[in-house]
Amino acid sequence: MFSYVKALQYSQLPINISRTWISITRPLTSTSNNDIPNFDMENPFEKEKPKCILCKYDITPDYKNVKLLSQFQSPYTGRIYGKHITGLCTEKQRQVEWEISKAQRAGIMASYLKEPCFIKDPKLFDSENPIRPHRFE
Amino acid sequence: MITYELMILFRLMSKPELVNTLKRTAQTLYNRGGIIRKLENLGTRDMPFKISSHGVVYNKASYYLFIFNSPPASIPDLLDEYERDIDIIRRKIFKQETPEFKECTLHEELQPPPYRKSVQELIAQARKLDKPKFKYNTGLDYYPFQK
Repeated sequence: MFSYVKALQYSQLPINISRTWISITRPLTSTSNNDIPNFDMENPFEKEKPKCILCKYDITPDYKNVKLLSQFQSPYTGRIYGKHITGLCTEKQRQVEWEISKAQRAGIMASYLKEPCFIKDPKLFDSENPIRPHRFE
Repeated sequence: MITYELMILFRLMSKPELVNTLKRTAQTLYNRGGIIRKLENLGTRDMPFKISSHGVVYNKASYYLFIFNSPPASIPDLLDEYERDIDIIRRKIFKQETPEFKECTLHEELQPPPYRKSVQELIAQARKLDKPKFKYNTGLDYYPFQK
């Protein structure tokens, strides 16, 4: 307390000390109860929900975007990786598979290999370590 | 009105020939009551796999994309007409559609199996196949007689 008063003395600011003596007892007639915590508020500690990479950046796969689609293809066999490897949500995985199928039918994307020009593309996921053992439920 | 995309692969041709073929392709569209919204040249390049059409094996193609509107009934006719054109290696017509937005469900899918809705549905489906069990309706929680 002493140091606090001293600090006040040294400080040049015009501080109103009487402000510190606010009465704790409130008149009974007052209806405002601002001090009661809001129990209906959302959980402030809730974790952010994980999102798949396509939902995170709001990407809709398109069959003409072969560079993107080929990232979901195995460089060895051209097979489409399952959602246990790609880490996509069910809907995005379905879209990716459908667009790859369209691109292959249209003759713009290879089906038995990943095209050599896309081999050095950055990896979106680790195909060696799937998040689940298989793509079924 | 449905917007379609026509992905078309032409064989390698000289420029005047290519112009002719493009005009012919567009004219076919107009004749079937279609209108062209956009025409894109996606370049001439090696195909990802060889394609045999009209008795010739092709390794290279010129890629073109037509975005057009046309009555849905005319689509089979268009495909048929383009199939008979010997300058066309491959043609595909896709509907242009914007998928409706769906919230990412990854957080549900990452849960352990018994908490996943799809797994719960599977279990409920399997429970339906269980043999019916006779209920004694005695109101007791044990069997009162000798078994």
